[in-house]
This record gives sequence, C-alpha cells and structure tokens, in this order.
Amino acid sequence: MKKYTQNLILILCLITGVVFLSSCEKVIDLELKNADPLIVIEGTISNQSENHFVRISKTIPFEQSANFNGVKGAQVTLKSSAGLSIAFTEVTDGIYRSPRLRGTPGLTYTLDVLVEGKTYSAKSTMPSPVIPDSIGFKTLSFFGNSNIYPTVYYKDPPKIQNQYRYILKINGKLQGDLVFEDRFNDGNAVSDVIIYDGDDDIKSGDIVDIEMQSIDRNVFKYFFALSQIGGNGGPPVAPANPVSNFSNGALGIFNACTKSTKSVVLK
Amino acid sequence: MPFSKNVLLFGFLLFFCSFSVNAQDNYTINGVVKDSLSGETLIGVTLKFTAASQSGTSTNAYGFYSYKLSPGEYNLSVSYIGYRSINRKISINSDLRLDLNMVPDNILEEIVISSEKRNDNIVNAQMGVAKINLSEIRNVPVLFGERDVLKTLQLLPGIKSAGEGNSGFYVRGGSTDQNLILLDEAPVYNASHLLGFFSTFNSDAIKDVSVFKGGMPAQYGGRLSSVLDIRMNDGNKKEFTAEGGIGLISSRLKVEGPLIKDKSSFMISGRRTYADAFLALSKDSSINKNTLYFYDLNAKVNYQIDDKNTLYLSGYFGRDELGLSETFGFDWGNATSTLRWNHLFSNRLFSNTSLIYSNYNYVIENFLEENNFKVNSSIRDMNLKQDFQLALNNSHNVRFGLDLIHHTIAPGNITASATSSVNEVTIEKRKGNEIAAYISDEWEVNDKFNLVYGLRASSFLLFGPGVFPTLDKDGITTSSKTYTSGQLVKSYLNLEPRISASYQLNEFSSLKSSFTRNTQNLHLMSNSTASSPTDLYIMSSNNVKPEIADQIALGYFRNFNNDNYEFSTELYFKQMQNQIDYRSGTDLRGNTNVESDLLFGDGRAFGIELFLKKRFGKLNGWVGYTLSKTERKFNDIDLGKWFNAKQDRTHDLSLVGIYKATERWTFSSTFVFNTGNAVTFPAGKYQLNNKTVYYYPERNSDRMPNYHRLDLSATLEGKPGKKLQSSWSFGIYNLYNRKNAYSIDFRDDPDNPTRTQAVRTTLFGIIPSITWNFKF
Repeated sequence: MKKYTQNLILILCLITGVVFLSSCEKVIDLELKNADPLIVIEGTISNQSENHFVRISKTIPFEQSANFNGVKGAQVTLKSSAGLSIAFTEVTDGIYRSPRLRGTPGLTYTLDVLVEGKTYSAKSTMPSPVIPDSIGFKTLSFFGNSNIYPTVYYKDPPKIQNQYRYILKINGKLQGDLVFEDRFNDGNAVSDVIIYDGDDDIKSGDIVDIEMQSIDRNVFKYFFALSQIGGNGGPPVAPANPVSNFSNGALGIFNACTKSTKSVVLK
Repeated sequence: MPFSKNVLLFGFLLFFCSFSVNAQDNYTINGVVKDSLSGETLIGVTLKFTAASQSGTSTNAYGFYSYKLSPGEYNLSVSYIGYRSINRKISINSDLRLDLNMVPDNILEEIVISSEKRNDNIVNAQMGVAKINLSEIRNVPVLFGERDVLKTLQLLPGIKSAGEGNSGFYVRGGSTDQNLILLDEAPVYNASHLLGFFSTFNSDAIKDVSVFKGGMPAQYGGRLSSVLDIRMNDGNKKEFTAEGGIGLISSRLKVEGPLIKDKSSFMISGRRTYADAFLALSKDSSINKNTLYFYDLNAKVNYQIDDKNTLYLSGYFGRDELGLSETFGFDWGNATSTLRWNHLFSNRLFSNTSLIYSNYNYVIENFLEENNFKVNSSIRDMNLKQDFQLALNNSHNVRFGLDLIHHTIAPGNITASATSSVNEVTIEKRKGNEIAAYISDEWEVNDKFNLVYGLRASSFLLFGPGVFPTLDKDGITTSSKTYTSGQLVKSYLNLEPRISASYQLNEFSSLKSSFTRNTQNLHLMSNSTASSPTDLYIMSSNNVKPEIADQIALGYFRNFNNDNYEFSTELYFKQMQNQIDYRSGTDLRGNTNVESDLLFGDGRAFGIELFLKKRFGKLNGWVGYTLSKTERKFNDIDLGKWFNAKQDRTHDLSLVGIYKATERWTFSSTFVFNTGNAVTFPAGKYQLNNKTVYYYPERNSDRMPNYHRLDLSATLEGKPGKKLQSSWSFGIYNLYNRKNAYSIDFRDDPDNPTRTQAVRTTLFGIIPSITWNFKF
C-alpha cells in the first residue's frame, strides 16, 4: 500500500510538473472498534527432517502493544493420509512443537486443534518439491528511484498447477513473504523477482536468505488475499479476512509445504 | 427509401391511430434553432405558443423542433439560457417551416430579467435531469485549472465524486460502471486519464451536457444509474475561429470554420499534457528515457445537404502513455466515431440514423529479458441506432426507435518472445448483441398535467465461439459446454417501463413523479477502490444475470422571484438486483474463469436531494444537498446482512457562487462537504510469520474522516473589441489546505514495532493554478 500511494504521488508530480509539497503522510488517532478475541492458528509442516511448529494465539485490540498473545493448553494433533498420528507438545505459551519428523510430498495432512472446548481442523496437501537453481539480483528503477531485488531462478514442472511462496531475509532480518503461481509460465525456466516492501534495501555485502516453498492452492489463495489487502501489485481492494483452511471460524492457515533455503551475498 | 418510409409511417399510424383522430385539423410548425453568430444548432431551446392557453415544445439534440397547432394567431416565445429571447407573433393557417437564429447575450451587458417566463423546469414532466451550462464550467474553480465537465457535474445533488480529484462519479447509489457515458452517442468505456484525475472530455469541444439520474427516457438504456449525454460542437458555419489555452497541465487548441458557408463546417480540437518534456531534460538515464503523458483529439464535420437532410461525422481519440525506460510500458485509451444522418420524412417526422463505433483498449509490456511479455485487452462496440420523433398532434410527441449493439470483449491476449519464461495465453473473446426497441409518448394531458410514458424492450444475446462453464453457487464448475461461432449461448429479455408525470400546482410550482426500470448487461470487473485502466468488462452469461434497477422518485419544483430562483427537491428509492462483488483473494489479472470469483446480491438506495439555484444577475450559483443511504447484501459477505456500499455517503453538500464584479473580472468559489466514505478498518490484530496482520470486522462499517474543501478562482477577460481576445484564469484549490484523507493505512510503528499506527495520506493540499486562454 505504502509503495502504491508513493508511486501514485510521484506519477502525479511528473505529469503535472507540480511538486506536491503539501501531499503528505501523517500518523493520526482513530477510534477503532474492538472485536471479541478470536483464535488464530498458524501451522507449518515441511519435507525437512525437523521440529515443526504450530502457533496458537488470540487477536488483540489494535491499540494494545503485545506481539503474540499465545493460548495455552491446546491439544494439537497431526494426522496424515498415510495413517500417521502424532501429538504436539507445548514449549512456551501458544507455541507447540512436533517431534523431529519429515513430511512426505503427495500426502494430505490434517491438523486438529482442541482449545477451550472447541476443535479447529484444517487440511493441506504437500506438493512435490521444486528447488531453486540459483539466486540473482535485478536493479529496477522507477523514475530515478533504483532498487535491487533478489531473483529466484528455477524450472517449473510442466502440466501441474504450482504455487510458490518466498520468505526473504536480509542479514537475518525478515523482510517479507511473497507468493507466485505458474499460471503464465507453466513448464518453463522461470525467474521470479522478489519485489518486497520491507524495511531494508539490499546493499553490497548483505547476506540474502530466500526460503522457497511449494504450497497448495488454498494456502496460495490465503497468502495472495493477504498481500492484496496490503496493496501489493496494484490499488488496494476492500479489505476482508483471507479465507482460512481451518474450520469453525479460526483465523490463520495450515501449510503443508516443501521448502529449501538458499543464501547469497550481494557483491 | 420511399418504401421504407411508407412502411414505417404505416406501422406507426396503425399503432397510434387512436391519437391522430383530430390531427387532420391542425398544421405543423417546424424548424431548426441556431446560434446567429456561429450557426451551431442549439439543444433544448424552449418554444412556447400562447393563444388562449399556453403550450410548447423544445428542440432536440440536433436543434430541431416540430409542433402541431390548430389554426389561429399565437405569440411565440423562444428562450435559451445565454441567449436573447425571441418574441414574435405567428399566424398558423398552413404548415410552416420556421428556422430561428438566436443572438447570444452579450455577457458585458447588464442582465435584465425578462418578463417572459422561464419556467420550463416546472412545466416539463421530465425529472431527475440536470444540464450543465458550459459557460458555468468556464468559471467554476477546478484542480490545476483544468476545466472538466465530469468534475463540475459532481457539484450537483445526487451525483457524487468517486474520490479526491477523481472524475468518476456515483449517481443515486450506483457504482461508476452503472453510468452510461455517451460522446456524440458513442459509449466511452474509460472516461478518465491518469488513474481518474482528469476526464477524457476536453471542454473546448463540447456543446451540451445532460445527465439523467432518474426518470430515464425510454430512448436510453443499458446502464442502471444514469446517462451522461455529451454532444460535441458542430463547428462554426459562418467564419473561421481558433481558440485555445496554456495551463499548468496541458495546452489546448481548437480550430473551426465553414467548409461551405452555411452548409458545411468542421471542428477539430486537441489537448496534450507536456510535463514529460521536462523529463527528457534530465541527465539521469533512468529518468530521461521515461514517457508519461496523455492527449485527446476531437474532430467533427457536418454537411447540410438540404432542408431535410444533414450528415454529421465525429470522432474522438485519446490515449495515456506511460513508459519506464527499459522495464515497463503501459498505454491505454478510447477511440470512438459516429456517423449520423438527420432526415425529415415529413414536417413532423424527424429521423436520426447513427452508426457508431467505440473501442477501449490497453497494452501492458514488460521488457525484462527473461520474462518479457505483452498483454492486450480490448472492448469494442459496433452500434446502429435508429430514432424517430413524431409530433403527432399538439398534445402528443412520440419517440420510437431501435438500438442494436454488437459487443466484442477480448479480456486478454498475452504474447511473449521465445526466450521469455512467460507462455503465450489468449483468454477467449466474448461476443454479444444488445437489441433494444423503445417507444415513448410525451403527452400534454391538459394545462396542468404532463405525462411521459414509454417502454423499452431490451434483449441480450450471448454467442459462441468458446467454452462456457456452468458454475454452482460456490463458483465450482459443474459442467462445461463448447459452442461454435455464432451459436447462441444464452439470451435475456427485459421489459423496462418508464413513466414520469408532472402536475402543475400553479404558474411557479409543480409536483413530479416517476417510475423507471433499467437493466444492464455489461459489468465492470474492478475489485479495487481506485479507478484503473486495467478495469475489465464482462457480459451477462449463463452464470451472470442482467443487473436490474427499479427507481421511484417524487419531486417538488418551485421557482421564485420571476423565475430568478429555482428550487427543487427529489426523493428517490431504488432497488437493485444481481449486483456483483468478489470472493476474497480474487485475482482479476489474466483470469480465464473470472465468473467463478463473483458473488451476486442485492442493492438498495434511498435519499433526498435539495437544490436551490440563482439563475441570473451579477451573482449567481447554487446550493445542492443530498441525504442518502446506499447498501448492498450478499449471502457470502457478513452472513447475508445489509452493509454500506462503498458509495454510501450520508451527507453531501456543495455550494457554488459566481460573481461578476466588473466587466472584466469574474470571481467564483465552490465549497464541498461530504461524510467520509464507508470503509473497513481493523478491529484487532494478530501475528502471522512474525508480521502483524489485521482482523477486519463487518464490511464498510467504519468511516473515513469527513471531507471538505474550499476552492476559489478569478477570471480576467482581456479588453473588449480586439481581434485577439484573451483571458487569464487564476485558481486556488483547497484554499485552507484541509488535509483530506486519500487513504488510511495501518502499519507497525517504525520506532516501536510492538505498536501499530494509523497513517493518513493526503494527496492534494493547497494548489494554485494559472491558465491563459485565447480566441481569435
């Protein structure tokens, strides 16, 4: 959203030849409503042999300054279509951890969360893995503003609908995540430019980590809707909550994905 | 031709034989009313015939009038705003052709309030109509000094701006795509430049602007909310003139003149922005290789073959060009053309035949080597229109006609080079025909009671070729069928009754009421809150039903002080069916099955509009106020509860004042106030992947801050009597620098990431402008 408005103002200035000294951003006080707290579940299971985590929290009022409002005492169970059934254990408030295990592409996983007497359940199918071949950088300029963006090169598997999610870190700091699909480049050698809207610009010497996930269709739609509300890729839409794959009205997403991480340093 | 003429007349007389019983005793007076200096035909001139009682008519869109009168002596009075009235005696003892030339009021003269009545607004049964006087537009202050009919229109009650500086508008609770915008009868699909900040209508080229927001006459159809009917200048028939202007944003030039004196003339008018010329001066190659501008070109020629036949050919072409050096290119625009033939079958049967073409397209190009691509998208109309107007007798004025439109929509065609990672994709074209027939009668029942009643039959036919899926209520394809070229996929027929009545309480006040049904078969796909050149249209189909709106309106009209003050109030209630919204996360870009992402629901709107206008004198202007409510209801949004539509604004007020201080100085001012837009703000937040995500409650249950603004302008006319007439316009937009919110965003506090904050973006603070205009 921020970038969209900034670019709009820039275009206006250029076409009119007028500098809007007066167009500005200001932090304002707004009276916002407070909804009753709702359950939020974020769970990921991947094809890596590792501990997988489920985070359970509740929404908090807009004004409140708390990062994560974890919910204790939930029963978290992961099942697979191959008959696996394991329980997660609570490590700290709201954070639940699985034993070390490796997810299998092609299986459908079900996550059941029993909390405060209600069961929330979600299904996600782990797609086949797609591994990045390499990471490069591209310089894009918008009327004199140049920025460097990382680019992921990979081969998209033909005749299959694929969705990808990238999580970008610069020097270990999370900058953002972005989703892509192969609607326009199925089966090709693809380069996805990660045009992120994070805090930091990439400079020479920075360490850039990119985690590439293959995700299922519902997970893609969830993250796409989330990015649309943020105004990525165009003017903002009327904001609404993205459609969760959890039952019973929980917010959040359960993502069974394959993942691989690549790290590069910009010379 | 005589054959078709006879068939038409025969069919017509058969239909209306009941009315024509006493027609034999009467004679017809007809003619064309023109500007005496330029020879331009004048639209909507009032003609009154007074003997024992008073009756009258007005000129149509081609300046033509026709009226039946019984033999006798009449006082004819002809009046039109901005012109000297004509009063003369006529005697009717045979058919009479009477062409009239009206002399423009010299604006430098003291304006005298004439004693004859200018109460057309009281007598006429038509309601929900507003006319924009182009001389008013000249004086109303606007953003950057760019005169703009679409923005002046937004100062009228019932018509609301779609956003700050935006030329899009909402009429009585309808969305922007529910307005039919016609330029010389050709539909203009994207009537704005530069993301909505400037309209495509260069006011130099415009002669007349009418907007119908209710009580829609039967000759118009195809949209739910309104018709904006814009007519271009024909061109000066007497002498060559040129006029133009140099402003902050653009320069304009118009040339017009006779091709054959009094028979044929032309007009050509252009406008272009030029700030991009400065980009080229930059030494930075990432700046000087960019392009960014828009332009408009209007042209028209006409040829009056004889008293009975006139031909008009007009066209519009406009484009926006945006290019970012070697990265990205984007251009979009409209092209329209209209060929018209006015023909008099008899002194009381007027015919107009129009052949219309309209095209809107955009092209997006990505030049990055590995994933270069080019997207082409277009909507194209071929349209044949036949309108007849018959003065049946002195109490019936009948219009009937046919309207055939062939639409072709090419939603997207993606091409790419062989080295690109992008696959070439073509989204299937869609073809459809809209066929409408209408008939309406303007009936002066008696001295007090006027009635306009009519019926429009609108059919829509969707044709192959293509694969057409059938979707269930969740948007899942249940079956799919392939149709061959020209094979009918789906058809709809809607009957649209249109009735308006007026009852004159006395000489200066009347009550009016209307009921209209409108349908719409072209639907704009835009899930964004801003106007965008990539907005996509779809047609009604086996899954998408025609939108339907029924509107009832009631009005009270009163003139005061010798018709110097005009007051009106209208109350409306509107119900809408088959309205469209989107599922969350819908991506309209290159979407091959966009229908599966649509939600269908209902809408309702009601409101009261108040309008007070001072029409003459040194100080004139108006006050408009609207109190309204607009809601939508979809089963899949907020569990099927009614919610505020994005165009819902409780209060909307505009004040316009124009003061002619001296012979050379004119000052004007506008003030607008409206309730903030209905929006959705977060009602909570949570963490996802260590980022803050907001929780949104019910749709549009919050409000942006109230919007208000005061603008000023001053115009200095050059000394009179010179060959080159010039004037200076000075303007100040947003005089008291009100920080109106263009958007409100939510983000983590950069200084304390555990806190979140609301950030207001203001687009336009105080902005001065200056324009130099000339004419010779």
